[in-house]
Amino acid sequence: MKRFALSALALAAASAAQAQELPQASSQWFIDGQSAIEERLALEPNTNKARNVILFVADGQGVATNYMIRLWSGQQDGGLGDDYVQPQEAFPNLALVKTYNINAQTPDSAPTAGAMNTGVKQRFNLINLGEEAIHGDCSTEAPSELTLFSEIMTEAGKSVGTVSTARLTPATPAAVYAQTANRNWGNEGPAEGTDSRDIATQLIDAMEAGTVDVALGGGARAFTPEGVATPNGGKGRRPDDVNLVERAAGLGVSVAGNLEELDAVEGGPVLGLFGDSHASYEADRPAGEPSLADMTRKAIEVLSENENGFYLEIEAGRVDHANHGGNAKRAMIDGKMFADAIALADEMTDDAETLIIVTADHEHSIAMNGYCGRGTPIDGLCYDVAKEGIMHSDDLVLGSDDKPFTVVGYLNGVGSMLTEQEDGTFAAPEGRAEVTQEEAQDVDYIQQAVIPKSSESHSGVDVALYAKGPWAHLFGGTIEQNVIFHVMNHAVNPQ
Amino acid sequence: MERRDFLRLGLNAGLGLSAGAGLALTGAKPLLAANAGALPESPFKPRDLYEKDRSFTDFARGLQGRRVTFRGFMAPPLKADAGFFVLTQRPMAVCPFCESEAEWPDDILAVYTKRPRIDVTAFNVKIEARGRLEIGSYRDPQTGFLSLVRLMDATYG
Repeated sequence: MKRFALSALALAAASAAQAQELPQASSQWFIDGQSAIEERLALEPNTNKARNVILFVADGQGVATNYMIRLWSGQQDGGLGDDYVQPQEAFPNLALVKTYNINAQTPDSAPTAGAMNTGVKQRFNLINLGEEAIHGDCSTEAPSELTLFSEIMTEAGKSVGTVSTARLTPATPAAVYAQTANRNWGNEGPAEGTDSRDIATQLIDAMEAGTVDVALGGGARAFTPEGVATPNGGKGRRPDDVNLVERAAGLGVSVAGNLEELDAVEGGPVLGLFGDSHASYEADRPAGEPSLADMTRKAIEVLSENENGFYLEIEAGRVDHANHGGNAKRAMIDGKMFADAIALADEMTDDAETLIIVTADHEHSIAMNGYCGRGTPIDGLCYDVAKEGIMHSDDLVLGSDDKPFTVVGYLNGVGSMLTEQEDGTFAAPEGRAEVTQEEAQDVDYIQQAVIPKSSESHSGVDVALYAKGPWAHLFGGTIEQNVIFHVMNHAVNPQ
Repeated sequence: MERRDFLRLGLNAGLGLSAGAGLALTGAKPLLAANAGALPESPFKPRDLYEKDRSFTDFARGLQGRRVTFRGFMAPPLKADAGFFVLTQRPMAVCPFCESEAEWPDDILAVYTKRPRIDVTAFNVKIEARGRLEIGSYRDPQTGFLSLVRLMDATYG
């Protein structure tokens, strides 16, 4: 106890005024630490009324996935990765977000996005319905419909946009404009004779009503009848004869099916459909298809025409899909594009009047192995910590089976080390596969996983939230996901 | 010897077309694969057949009519006795939150086998298939499955 008291005294003596006298004071770590404090001390809350709100959601990019993408981006930039700062990570305000749904410890993307867009937690597989609604029961839709942030923004005279690299109809992008008892009712609803509308129809209804002005993403086949051409050169799959693309065009909505057509759009409203299903992974995206950054640029250009401002939700939808496939490399590449879109939006807007929020809807069952030395390629095998210097040693870290392993792994999914045998059991008769660095760094590599599943799953782990702009300082601590709506709502109309 | 072992022996017996031979056949440019800077090496991958815009690579066209070996994953066959299966670049993960219905990836290769009965391999176990590469639209009369590129008279394991 006496030693503790002495140590405490020594610490107390090392006040800020005397910090430069400490033996570690010349270390760059120490100097950078002091600079960080100076930056925090200089921060002043922005209590302006927000003209614009941009909500960035990287689907499935929780804290671990975000860490992986940070290292990937930093290593692509020529560094070690750990110390790299993604654009959103330089934002001054941070919170951890609890993502569970009303009835699910492990959330899905529909109710999580709904929570952000309505201010209340929702039920698994439902979008923007109250807690009494039942999955798949369309009779519970009408009495349970919630008011959306997009509708509130429209009432305030603002424009609204939704952008995604996934299909526009399920989950995250749909939470901007739709209410449904089943997130999978993208191009057809439940039985005929009900008032329930499929999600694609709800989007065009919203564009007609003026509650959505920009919608850019994938999912074209939900907008044209079976076999009828989609704007991006594919074919529709609507079971009815309704051509929603023609209907949109008839309403004066500009329709784009590729980057050239998107670039040619001069004003809103605009509907961009860039894939019959999802738009491409960034790793696979052909030159004629807009990237998430391309879509972000056009959305902000169009929405900025409204002098009253706008609400724009932008989703990197395929980080989630790559994780589901156990293919971490594509998640990394899509995550870097997400960061590029954030940087662009930040550049195109003014912090004084634009609240930018960057978050995820949920995490995945992804995890990082150790102990790896600095500079270990995040997309490859784990190299040992060196005794001298900074960089990792040349030795691979081995498991107890004397085989190397990748830094990134999953708890479940298609990469399971247990495979189905001829007798239907699951086993690994030859043990864990031996992976080379070349194999591990291939864009199509599937990380090793534990539990065999046909698709890797989400997890209930918290996600981070980064924010800047008016009232961003209201984010802090560990919050419920629905609080995001309340900060947005306060920022545009502070009391 | 198990049938699968026999096939594997045959596949590994140096029968794959070498990259150099592919070039000599076609005089194609070196930048051929959508996802690789170098010339593909046997066993080839389904992705070696496609550009990012989903058109076929020069490399793929150069392989037409040749017996070649591809490595990938066997998607769960549409029918056990269909006489063909689909070789995918990555295991066919079925994500309930990604797709509302069966969804084929873009980089696939139909494999028409010598024997109609498919010896099913788990969808996430790598296999190799060897056959004569054929390019062009073909709708399978039994299943209606439309393929754009196929391995014909194929063995696999």
